Amino acid sequence: MSTDTGDQYQEILQGLYGMLERFPTRNIDLQEQTDLVADMGLDSINVMELLQEIEDRFDIIVPLNVMSDVRTVQDLATQVQRLIRENS
Amino acid sequence: MSISKRFAELEHIRSALNEADADPGRIVMERMLSATEAEIAGRRTILAGTNNYLGLTFEPGILEAAHQALCEQGSGTTGSRMANGSFASHVALERSFAEFYGMPAAMIFSTGYQANLGILTGLLRPGDKVMIDAHSHASIYDGCRLSGADFFPFRHNDPEDLRKRLRRLGDDARGALVVTEGLYSMLGDIAPLAELLAVTEEFGAYLMVDEAHSLGVYGEQGRGVTEAAGILDRVDFITGTFSKSLGSMGGYCVSRHEQLNLLRYGSRPYIFTASSSPANIAAAHWALDHIRSHPELRETLWSNVARLYGGLKELGCTLGAEPSPVVAVRVGSHDEAARIWNELLAAGVYVNLVVPPASPDGASLLRCSVSAGHSPEQIDTIVTAFGEAISRTAFAGACCSGQA
Ligand SMILES: Cc1ncc(COP(=O)(O)O)c(C=O)c1O
Repeated sequence: MSTDTGDQYQEILQGLYGMLERFPTRNIDLQEQTDLVADMGLDSINVMELLQEIEDRFDIIVPLNVMSDVRTVQDLATQVQRLIRENS
Repeated sequence: MSISKRFAELEHIRSALNEADADPGRIVMERMLSATEAEIAGRRTILAGTNNYLGLTFEPGILEAAHQALCEQGSGTTGSRMANGSFASHVALERSFAEFYGMPAAMIFSTGYQANLGILTGLLRPGDKVMIDAHSHASIYDGCRLSGADFFPFRHNDPEDLRKRLRRLGDDARGALVVTEGLYSMLGDIAPLAELLAVTEEFGAYLMVDEAHSLGVYGEQGRGVTEAAGILDRVDFITGTFSKSLGSMGGYCVSRHEQLNLLRYGSRPYIFTASSSPANIAAAHWALDHIRSHPELRETLWSNVARLYGGLKELGCTLGAEPSPVVAVRVGSHDEAARIWNELLAAGVYVNLVVPPASPDGASLLRCSVSAGHSPEQIDTIVTAFGEAISRTAFAGACCSGQA
């Protein structure tokens, strides 16, 4: 990972933490390996809200089908980074 | 190992419903007494949760048509139309649907669920883009998944949000598919179709509308919310079902594009399943003719809607939307919904208990579907039962706060 993409990834990750904290997090410490459903307990409505926030924040559009491969915060950050790159 | 885990997961869901005494799947209609009444747990019960909007299931004409088809064409088709041939009655019903909508093409499917699966997988390939209303029925989500296309939910009934998302698609928006429903089955709200179509056209996309709950209910001639919105000549695809207002089983799609017929050669949910039984087709065809020649059925339905809606409003209930044949009472919690639902059953009134994740926005609902077959007295009984059930539940104050 070049420094640029590394920085961008960190920025995305911090942005995601900020958004995720507003959901009921069951008082867990958010980390890259935190599982959105198993650890955080997000339901399908939460996921939908989260996606819309992500889209507005990063000005991208996230296909719902991509989400079936996303389990952890890290997976999500990686997908967001990929979509940002595809868009630019 | 993974299957035993799955069993455990499902057992968890089942026992949670069981403990809350809130499992609609356990309801058995032991004996049907009419289109609007059945015996449940030995009790005569008014049915206000069966989507039988026009109450046609016991009409002498529909029974006779189905019976005649059964005798003349047999109990089943025993095969798929592409592999084993069509019955003349399938072709005739397609012709009637096309003519009813004034469109060049119609296809019928074995269920409404399969109609959505068949159209979406037939039209879309991996990499294609489709925008669906976030409140869409499971068959729309599943059709998108099965197609391999990239699909994007937009905010429910929000043309501006659709525009924002289409814009983000860039060049891919041209030729994309937008999917919405007419009347939404859970909250009973209708889509702003004219506005959604305007946005769709702006980007050169296609519009598909599922009128499962609105066929025979909306529009001057009963052609749905699309007709009521005045956009029948501009919508690209309309899907729907025989299982609600038509009182039968099966699904359909009509289109202003004659090429719809090409999907017969590339839609797996159309090709790889047996065609509808002759009795189902005959019942649906009779019902379609009947709703065309009996517009007064819709008047009866809407007058029943006004009676139920008004009655529940007067009780102070929080209702899901403007009056429609789906009247959804919002309650504060899952448990409260279950309690009221059981009280209603005990009083001989059957409605739908809808709790997350089946409800669209996390709400707990007691969903009523109104029928033209309900008598005014039955509607009054439903309202009275709600009043008593609510006052008997502990959180009556919280549930019916009076605000809309
Ligand atoms: C919006 C919508 N589309 C499709 C369907 C499926 O219809 P069917 O019962 O014919 O499979 C339903 C009904 O459950 C529905 O509510």
